[in-house]
Formats: sequence, structure tokens, C-alpha cells
Amino acid sequence: MKRPVFILLVAVVFLVTVFLLAETLTVKMKTTNLRKTPKFYSSALTVLKAGEKVEKIGAQGEWLQIRSSSGVVGWIHSSSVMDKSFSLAGSQQNLKTQASASEIALAGKGFNKQVEENFRTKNPRANYIQVENMLKIVITPDQMRIFLEKGRLGEYGRRK
Amino acid sequence: MKMHLRKILQVFIIVTGLFFLGPGCSVIEQGAGVLSKTGRISESDRQAVVETSKAFRRTFADITEEEEYFIGRAVAALILSKYGIYPDRDLTLYVNKVGNAVVFYSERPEIYDGYHFLILDTEEVNALSAPGGFVFITKGLLRRCRDEEMLACILAHEVGHISAKHGLRSIKNSRLIDAFQIMGQEAMRRYTSAELSRLTGIFEDVLADITESLVERGYDRKYEYEADSLAVTCAVGTGYNPQGLLDFLQTMVENPEKGQGAGWFRTHPRAEDRIKRISRQVSKLKSLPVKDDIRSRRFLQVAGSLK
Repeated sequence: MKRPVFILLVAVVFLVTVFLLAETLTVKMKTTNLRKTPKFYSSALTVLKAGEKVEKIGAQGEWLQIRSSSGVVGWIHSSSVMDKSFSLAGSQQNLKTQASASEIALAGKGFNKQVEENFRTKNPRANYIQVENMLKIVITPDQMRIFLEKGRLGEYGRRK
Repeated sequence: MKMHLRKILQVFIIVTGLFFLGPGCSVIEQGAGVLSKTGRISESDRQAVVETSKAFRRTFADITEEEEYFIGRAVAALILSKYGIYPDRDLTLYVNKVGNAVVFYSERPEIYDGYHFLILDTEEVNALSAPGGFVFITKGLLRRCRDEEMLACILAHEVGHISAKHGLRSIKNSRLIDAFQIMGQEAMRRYTSAELSRLTGIFEDVLADITESLVERGYDRKYEYEADSLAVTCAVGTGYNPQGLLDFLQTMVENPEKGQGAGWFRTHPRAEDRIKRISRQVSKLKSLPVKDDIRSRRFLQVAGSLK
């Protein structure tokens, strides 16, 4: 009788551990702003980088309130992080796909910089210089807020 | 009953424990094998455990954000080897603001290195989007836009293609299976030159699949209709009146000769069919954003030089 109870206790401990692990998230974007408020055009408190671990402390719709590794608390969009622990605790289908994709993402393998360098050597006409210039076009959150406000868009909009 | 419960708990703990310790598939496989041999679990249970432990990548949906970005960069580099860039800085910044506004309210507001919009210096009437957030609109198409709503709806259509991963869906699955096999062999080292050579070959084939859909053949019709539907939802969410999309398509019906045979006309379904579908969707909406003159004025202020 005692043994099944012990086994059950160990099982509960594992479940709780898996659940707690799901609260640690990993940034999957190259960079993402840790925002002051849960809005895309909110000003950035700091910039989080791919692979950085963050701790979830709250949620509001599609937004997560997190604490960064350096202790800064702010908001990120839920799509900018992967939750490896949750993947493992997920359905069989999720497990087969996401777990592996997460591993590849964390390892930086797959179609990566090394493959791109080899492709560029073979295809010198591919215009990567202009791609880099395109990537330099960045609109700041503050510019976006002013654009939305002046154009009466988003929360500043009107409906009929 | 007790025995049954014990068996389930034992299997659960071993499998959970093995995951928790972070082993490879083979360890789980061995563990399940031991359980099977000692009669603790049946052969079918053993197979289920092993199957669950195997982590495969199989389809476009398993492409990571970073991989999509590298695919998108290459597609963009190929597009930019064919077209020049329209050098109007203010207009480019304005297009990026409109584009990012619709991105905020799209199905995929965050992407690996953000969304970026560029004007191609050609009179061809076309808009293109590469995976990973690279969106192109031609000067010829911008000339056809009369206001910000039209531009926003066209960009929302392109963002719709990216958020629904239509570019990645156009990759032949056999290529991905080959690539995943090479990538999955050993997780933490650089590729050997033979692997790299094979992988780059597959990468080129992947790009060929995407550019053929983007530039030559066009996406499957259902993807175009889906992008229209996403554009309407996204435009309305942002505060743009979706009539902008209908207005743009109407110009394509009225003046088809200007771009016939090239770009947009070759790669998109008939504008009349799209208008019918979009109108049906819009008529079902309970409320619509007001088309504000402020936006039309700022559009003309920046894009007026094109007229």
C-alpha cells in the first residue's frame, strides 16, 4: 500500500516540475523588445536576444509579463518565445514536431549562416548588400505610435 | 486494478524522468526495451513510448523562425538581383509605417528580424513577399494606389501570405525531408563539407520552389483568396476600411492592359473573382472603420511625387 502512494507522490513531483519548467521561456526571435506596456508600439525597456531565457510572471491576452535574465520586468508578445518544456508536456503530435524544431533552433543548425555563406559563394549575383540595407529600415515604437495616432488608427480609430 | 495502476505509474515515471534528464531518443528506446523484456509493459506500449520519444521534423511547419529568415533573405536577395530599389527615402519610410501598422494587427505580429518593406523601381504592377518578413511593392503598383487604405490593404495581403506561410508551403516536401535528415544527424557541430554541399543544393532547390510560385507561376488560388481574407481582417483590425482592397482590384479590372502578362496578372487569380469573395466577407462585418481624410491627405503628401 505504501509503495503506490510513494510512486504517486513522485509522479506528482514530476508533474509539478514539468509545469514549473513551462514558466521558463526562451526568446526565439533574433531580437525582441521588452516593452513597458503590452502594446507593440510601447517603448522598449531593453532588447532581448535569441536564446535568452526569461521567466513568465503574468499574462494579458496574447501578451506575457516576464522578468529578463538581468532582472528587468516588462511585456513581450507570446509569439516571440518558445516554450520547450511545454512542448515536451504537450500532445504526441506537438512532441514529434516542436521538440525537434526547438532543439534545432537552440543549436543554431538547419538553414543557417553557414549554408547562406556557401550559397552566396555559389551565387554571387544574389544581392545580399541590398537585403542588409532593407533590414536597416527600422521604425521606432514611438514613430509608430505617432503614426497610428495621427492617422486615427488602432486604438485611436473610429468605427461606423 | 492495483497492478494496472502501478504499471501505468512506473511507465509514466520512467518516461517523464528520461525526458526530464534530457537524454537522446536512444536512451528512452533502451529504457522502454528493458521494461518490455521484464514484462512490465507490453510490446505495443514499448512501441508507443519509442514513437513518442522520437522527435522528427517533417513538413514546412517544422521550419524554425531562424531558418525561415535565412530562406527569406535568399529569396529577397534574388528578387533584388532582378530589380533596383526606388530611392525615395520618405516614401519608403511611409510604406514601412503603413506596413508595420497592419503587421501589429495581423495573425503574425512578430517575426524573427521584423518586417521590412521596400519599393522596387519598376513600372510593373506587382507586390511580392518572401518568407521571414520581406515585403516588396513596385513603383507601378504604388502609382495605382489613390489613398492609404488601398496601400494598407495591399500590404496586408502580402503580410497575410507571410503569416500563413504560403511561401514555405510551396516548398516540395521531399526536399525538406532530405534537408531535415542531414540537419538532424548530430545536433551540436558544424556541417562537414559534404553535408554542407548537399544542404546548399537543397537550399537552392527550396529557393527555386518559392521564387517559381512568387514570380513565375503564382501561388495556388486558395492561398491568394486566403491572403485576401486575412487582409480584410487585418485591415479592419488596424482601422483601415477594407474598401481599399476592393478599390485596388477595381483599378485592375478597369485598366488591365497596363500590366497585362507581367507580374501581378500572371501570378494572381482574376480580380473579378477576388472582388466577389471579398465583398461577401465585408458585407458580413458588423462595423467598419471610417475612411479618414487625414490618411488620404498624408498619402498624397508623400506619394504625390509618383503621380
